[in-house]
Amino acid sequence: MNEDLIIFLSVLATAGRVLGLVLLSIVTGWFLSYGAIKGKIFENIFISISEVFESVPVISFFPVVLILFITRIGGPLGVELAADFLVFTAVVWNIWIAEYQAFKTIPREMVEVGENYRLGFFSILRNIYIPFSIPRIVANLFPSVSDGFFYITVSEVFTIGVTTFQTFGIGTEMQALIAAGNTNGIILAFVFLALVIMVIIFFLRSFSKHAVAKYTVDTDTPVIRRGRFSFKNTTRRLSSTAATPFTRLSKYYRRRNPSVKNEMFEPERSGVNYSRYILATIGLVILAIILYSSTLLVLSVSDGEWSRLLALTPQIIIGLLYDYSRVAVVIAVTFVISITLGYYLAINSRAESVGVPLIQVLTAFPAPVYFPFVYIAFYPDFHAVFGPLTSEFFVIALAFISTFYYLFYSFWMGVKAMPSEYQELMKNLNMGFFSKMRRVIIPSTFPYLIAGISSTINSTWGGLMIGEYWPSIYGSRTLQVSNGLMRFIDINTRSGNLGAAAWASFVFGIVVVVFSIFFTRRMMDLARKRYVAEEGVFAA
Amino acid sequence: MRNPANLVGGVGSGQPISLLESVNIHFSYENGYKVFENINISVGQDKFVGIVGPSGIGKSTLLRIMGGFLAPDSGATYLMGKKITKPTPKVVFVHQSIITFPWMTALENVMLSPRSMKVPQSEAEIVAMKALEDVGLQGFEELYPKEMSGGMRQRVAIARALAANPMVLLMDEPFSHLDELTAEGLRQDIYNILFRVDTPLKGVVLVSHNLTEVLELADEIYILNNIPATVVGKLVVDIPRPRSIRNPKFSEYLDFLYTKLSPPGGKKNE
Repeated sequence: MNEDLIIFLSVLATAGRVLGLVLLSIVTGWFLSYGAIKGKIFENIFISISEVFESVPVISFFPVVLILFITRIGGPLGVELAADFLVFTAVVWNIWIAEYQAFKTIPREMVEVGENYRLGFFSILRNIYIPFSIPRIVANLFPSVSDGFFYITVSEVFTIGVTTFQTFGIGTEMQALIAAGNTNGIILAFVFLALVIMVIIFFLRSFSKHAVAKYTVDTDTPVIRRGRFSFKNTTRRLSSTAATPFTRLSKYYRRRNPSVKNEMFEPERSGVNYSRYILATIGLVILAIILYSSTLLVLSVSDGEWSRLLALTPQIIIGLLYDYSRVAVVIAVTFVISITLGYYLAINSRAESVGVPLIQVLTAFPAPVYFPFVYIAFYPDFHAVFGPLTSEFFVIALAFISTFYYLFYSFWMGVKAMPSEYQELMKNLNMGFFSKMRRVIIPSTFPYLIAGISSTINSTWGGLMIGEYWPSIYGSRTLQVSNGLMRFIDINTRSGNLGAAAWASFVFGIVVVVFSIFFTRRMMDLARKRYVAEEGVFAA
Repeated sequence: MRNPANLVGGVGSGQPISLLESVNIHFSYENGYKVFENINISVGQDKFVGIVGPSGIGKSTLLRIMGGFLAPDSGATYLMGKKITKPTPKVVFVHQSIITFPWMTALENVMLSPRSMKVPQSEAEIVAMKALEDVGLQGFEELYPKEMSGGMRQRVAIARALAANPMVLLMDEPFSHLDELTAEGLRQDIYNILFRVDTPLKGVVLVSHNLTEVLELADEIYILNNIPATVVGKLVVDIPRPRSIRNPKFSEYLDFLYTKLSPPGGKKNE
């Protein structure tokens, strides 16, 4: 077959996987979220599992995924499912949580209308719940698609021991092109990938605008019907239309609110509700399966193996400390860029109209595909500056590229969601940049910043996982650092020592969950208690 | 209807140069919709000026133009003869939605003004305490906005505005989000708070669609109507303070305002 066509098809296959899995996440999320709001037990199980898995970096699942899909299923199907599962876990959690939050916060009156007309299960989902969830889904689509592209390219081809597993897609194709030294093919692959990503981002942006106009329930949002502008001459309406639709979308982005108040829930009903028992049973069965599998896994490991794994733990903890230091550097750099460039774009509509789509395309462009070329092109220059720390620099750079978008996007959304009166007040008082940041902008975007920092930390691990040990990054060159947990997991996975890799992932998972409980959640609680800008605007 | 003695059919002429003056303001939205045509408004020293008009006519937009938040297509606003090109703490805007910062106490909210003008912390605190006292919030300094009623929050917003030592206050329907009793209480206080001898405040512009409220407070009232909006009348309110709605003149003025605010018969936008 024509080589150009193969490259093009591989790009389409990769894009198809990402979009298909995003779609699968959305559809499954509707049913699961509906189940969650209908049954308390199912809700507790679903939300607890989602929140834990959301806070555990997706990449840490990989060794377990490999064990399951490669060793138990095997063949091309096993490889395909392993790649798909990894991408699915990359995109699914924030979409599920967004849908659940939408279903939880749907106005009671809307639900009552559905009940009044006795709408059936599919009818009430189609007419009320699903439309209401669209803005929240859309607000989470950009990061999900970027995440999907990032992971698909690394999961399409991977090595365990001496065996390399691969499935058709641009990640695999690119590696073959590099191995063959096919420069024209590489350039063509980049062009095709850029084109496909631009089309996807264009589609997402158009859909976002449509979704904001059609599905938000704010009474002052004029509905834009297929390009026809329904203008009514009031200032309020002008102010809402003059702002970019993403301003309105920002209110739906990552506003995590697990402690939704009870009065926003569905009204309790009396009488026997069989669906509740069915859902509770399903939830308990899922929980039992997880517990059963875990127990089997623990029992299957011999005492000697346990001793060996426990002996590795100090090394794992030290590696983790190295990696948290790298994460801290990435967060610091990202934070500075976000509050400068992010703020500039948020308040300058002209710069924003170019800058934001550009950043969206760039971040959806999978870093693992182009990073080897950046590495080889700039290695001598950076080596002259960083000397023995050059590899460290590249690893942190890769982690930064793969993750800066989350904090940047979150902060940008936070600024867009700030009450416009705050902007006016800052102008009115002639506040300087640092004064504005310290007193108004950072506090009022605090919930967004915490959500962004949390996502950034989670996805920094992905960049570190790839970068800390990257054999044959270009030709015979290997990018690696001397210490790091991700390097440990990488090396053990590649050498076929899946037990050690899985144990490191497990220890890592525990640390991440503890970090999430003691830091992220506390910060989110603080953000909810004090830093909700809308609560400062009294418009009864 | 009889035309009362203090009613003027258009913008008055021969007045001395004003504290704040908007001259020949023309303004259109980005889509070409013409909002204002040749608006002239003058705020004299120690005057409380009201602007009334039908809902949607652009009263808040006009206030933003006067504050330098929006640039008109043509025309300009002058503060003591000096053109306003951008927002300044000398002309402070009090929003329709009551704006406070939930992460700051009442005192910190008010201190924002002096602190942003580089006033040292201790001095800013004194200024803020004084402003809070002026608006009747002594003893509530450490409360957060969420712990306050709507009326108290609006007092915080006004205190913050006063703490900036402005020459002019632009108030955009400041009582519209308050219940009637609270609004009435605040209205009664506001004139005295704003025009205390020891403040540098020299003028207030109040935008409202509540005609009773404007008649109760304003010395002069500009009436906006038509599409695009123009000043269709100016009313000099000659009723001694405190004003009572039972005063016959009050009803007379009210009737006049209603007449002027009848549905616009002006030319339509293209």
